[in-house]
Amino acid sequence: MKSKIKDLINNMNLAKVRFWTQLVTFVLFVYGGYFAIDLGSELPIFACPYNGESAGACYLIPLQHQLSMPAKVLLGGAGISVIVGLLTFLFWFIFLNKAWCGYACPIGTFQDWLTWLRKSMGIRYSTYTQNQFEKLSKIKYILLAIVLLVPLLMGVGALDSDWSAAFCKICPARIISPMFSGDLSQWAIDFSSITAMVLTSIGMIFAGLFLAGSFVKKRFFCFFCPMSALHYIFSSFAFVQLKKDGSKCTRCGDCYSVCDMQIKDIADDVTSTNILRDDCIMCLKCVAACPEDDALHFDIFNVKAFSSTKEGFEKRMGIEKPKGDRDE
Amino acid sequence: MSNLIKREIESPNERQNRHKAMEAIKVLNDLREGFKVPPQSMEYFYNLFEEVYCHQKALHKGKVKVGTMCIQIPSEIIYALDGVPIRLCNGFYTDDEIGSDFLPQKACPLVKASVGHLASQNITDKPDMIYSPTTCDQKTKAGSTIEGFGYDVVDVNFPRTKESEISREFFRRSIREFSADLSSKMGKKLSKKNLKAAISKIGYAQSLYHRLSEFRKSSAVPILGNDMFLVTNAFFFDKIDNWIGACEKLVSELEQRVKDEVHVAGKVSPRIVYTGSPPIFPNYKIPLIIEESDAIIVADETCSSNRMFNDRVAVDEWFVNDMVDSLADKYLKACTCPVFTKNDDRIRRIIELVRSYSADGVIYQAFAGCTVYELEQRSVLEAMEKAGISILYIESDYSPSQHGQLSTRVEAFVESLKIKNRKRS
Ligand code: SF4
Ligand code: SF4
Repeated sequence: MKSKIKDLINNMNLAKVRFWTQLVTFVLFVYGGYFAIDLGSELPIFACPYNGESAGACYLIPLQHQLSMPAKVLLGGAGISVIVGLLTFLFWFIFLNKAWCGYACPIGTFQDWLTWLRKSMGIRYSTYTQNQFEKLSKIKYILLAIVLLVPLLMGVGALDSDWSAAFCKICPARIISPMFSGDLSQWAIDFSSITAMVLTSIGMIFAGLFLAGSFVKKRFFCFFCPMSALHYIFSSFAFVQLKKDGSKCTRCGDCYSVCDMQIKDIADDVTSTNILRDDCIMCLKCVAACPEDDALHFDIFNVKAFSSTKEGFEKRMGIEKPKGDRDE
Repeated sequence: MSNLIKREIESPNERQNRHKAMEAIKVLNDLREGFKVPPQSMEYFYNLFEEVYCHQKALHKGKVKVGTMCIQIPSEIIYALDGVPIRLCNGFYTDDEIGSDFLPQKACPLVKASVGHLASQNITDKPDMIYSPTTCDQKTKAGSTIEGFGYDVVDVNFPRTKESEISREFFRRSIREFSADLSSKMGKKLSKKNLKAAISKIGYAQSLYHRLSEFRKSSAVPILGNDMFLVTNAFFFDKIDNWIGACEKLVSELEQRVKDEVHVAGKVSPRIVYTGSPPIFPNYKIPLIIEESDAIIVADETCSSNRMFNDRVAVDEWFVNDMVDSLADKYLKACTCPVFTKNDDRIRRIIELVRSYSADGVIYQAFAGCTVYELEQRSVLEAMEKAGISILYIESDYSPSQHGQLSTRVEAFVESLKIKNRKRS
C-alpha cells in the first residue's frame, strides 16, 4: 500500500499538478478579498495589496514600513513589531520554503502563464549565457538592499518621506497585480515630487520589462526578486528541502536543461546534499526530469516525498511502446 | 567441377568473409553451448549475428544507411529523418589485419578493424555517408583515411572539456549543423512529430535495456554478461523494431527466470563490473575468459553497451530546436568517454555500478594502442583502491594468441575474489 502511494506520487504528471495548484493559489491570493479571506500581511510572496482584492499582503510592505520608523522608536518598543513581523513571515515560510515561488506566488504563476502563451504561439524561449547569468543573478541582492536600507535611512532622517515604500514604487507587481481585478490605475507616474516621479517611472519601465521579459524568458522576474533573496537567508530552516544524492547522479544535465532558472549546480554539483540555490523556485521540474532513481528528491521533514525515478521519468517524457513494423 | 575451380581462386573478399565467418561462429558456438542454460530468447540474437556475419545478410536494403564512427551521433535524429544508423566500430581480427596497412602498427585494433572493414569495400549494409565525431585522436584521424576510400565522411566537432558551458554550447551547435547536413542529404525536414517519435522510440529501447539490467542486480543472475554484450551490440546495426521485439521477449523471459531464481553462474561466482575499451563482436575475448573462469559480469561501463543506453533525453518544451539541443546535451554531458580532460564522472559511475549491482570486483580492459583508456588506467586504479574495490587491469588486442596468459591472470583474480568473499562470510 505504502509503496503504491509512493509510486503514484513519483510517477505523477508534475506539470499538471503544478498547473492546478497554481490556479488555486492564484485565485486564493488574488481574489481572496472577495471572499473576505485575510491571511495577514507577512506573506512570503508577492501578494500585492495594491490589488484591492488580495487575500493578504507581501511581507516587504510591513517590513519597509517598520524599518522606516524613527531610529529611537525602532530601538525602543517598536522593535518588537519588527521581530513579530519577521517571525510571522518565517512561520509561513518554513512550511513551503521556496516552493512558495514555484507554487503559490501569483506573480510567479502569471509568468508561467506568459510562458504558456509564448509556447502556444510556437516561439522558443531565450536563455542567458553563463556570464550574463552570473552578473544578473546578483541584482536581487541589490534590490533586497533597497528594501532594507532605504527605510533605515529614512528612519535616521537621511531620506525624506518621498522615499517611503521605495521598493514598492519600482516593483512591477504593484503595477501588474491590480490589473488582475481590472484596475489599470497603477500604470501612472506620480508627479508629486521628483523622487516619486523617478521611482514610479522606473516602476513603469520595470513593469514593461516584466511583461516583455517573461514572455521570452521563463520566470524572467524571479531572477531579480528580492523576496527570493530574503527566502534564501532562511531556507535551510524550512520543513521541506530539495536534496541530491551525488553518487547516483550521472551529471547528464537533464535537470539543468529543464530548469527555468538555469541553475547549473543542480546537475554539476555532486557533493552538496542540500541542492537548493538562491535562484531556485522549488518548482521540482528538475526532480521530474531526472532519470536516475533517487538522485534528486523533495523531502518533507527529511523524508523523501517526491523522488526522481526511471519509471516516473519515462511516463513524464511520453516514452511508450512504439508502433513499428517488425519482421515475422 | 566448376565449383571446385571457384574455390581454388577464392577472391580476397571471399577469403575475408570466410575468415570473419570463422571468427563469428566460434564465439556464437561458445555462447550457445559453452554455458549452462542460455535464455531461449537469445536465439534471436545468435541467429542475427550468424546471418549477418557468416552469411552476409543485408538488413536494410533500400534504406539510406548512415554510418557513425562513435556513439556521439544522435541516432534519434537519423531515425527521425528516415535513415538507419549503423555504428561502424568493428571487432574482427580479419579486418584489423587489413586495417594495419593504413594505420600505424601500434594503433588501436578497434580503429584499425573499422578502417580495414571500410577499406575492403566488402560491407553488407554499406553506409551511404559517414559521420565521424572528433573523439579520440585515432578516430579523428581515421576519418580522412576513410574518406580516401571514396566514402562521404563528415567530421562532427566534439569538445573535450565537458564541464564547461562553452563545450555545451559548442556541441549543441555542432549537432545542429549535423542535423542540417543530414536533413539536406535526406531531403527531409526534422519536424516536431518525427523527432519526438524517434526520441520516444529510442527511449523505449533504452527502457528495455534498463529493465534487463535491473534483473542483473538480483543474487541469481538470469543472463550472462556476454549475452548482454551481444544484445547491446545488435543495436549497432539491427532493425530497431525487431530489436525491440526481441528484447521484450527477453525481458519477460528474464522476469520469469528471476522469479524461478535461475542463476547462469555458480553459487560462489564473483560478480564483476566490466569497464574499459569496448568489447565488440566477435572480440569478446576478455568477457568470455571472465565468464569461463567462473565469474559473472553483472554490469559494465563501456561505450558498446551501458553508455549507449544509460542516459536519457529530457525536453522541457517540445520544439524541434529544444529537442535537438537536449539530444546534444545527452550525448555530451553524461558521456564517460576517456577522451575528456577529467574522468571523475567515469570513476563515480564505476563505483556506483559496483555498489548497486553488489559487485565483488572490477575488470578493466584496455586495447593495446587505445591510448585514452591506457592513460586513464592509473587514476581509475587509484580511485578503486581508495574505495576499497578490487580491480584487475588487463591489456589485450584482437589477435587470437595470448589467450593462455590472459586467462591465467583473470583466473587468479577471480580466485582472489572468491577467497575474499569466503573470509567475509
Ligand atoms: S538529471 Fe539527475 S542524473 Fe542528470 S544531472 Fe540532474 S541530478 Fe544528475
Ligand atoms: S533547481 Fe529545480 S526546483 Fe529549483 S528552479 Fe530549477 S528546476 Fe525548479
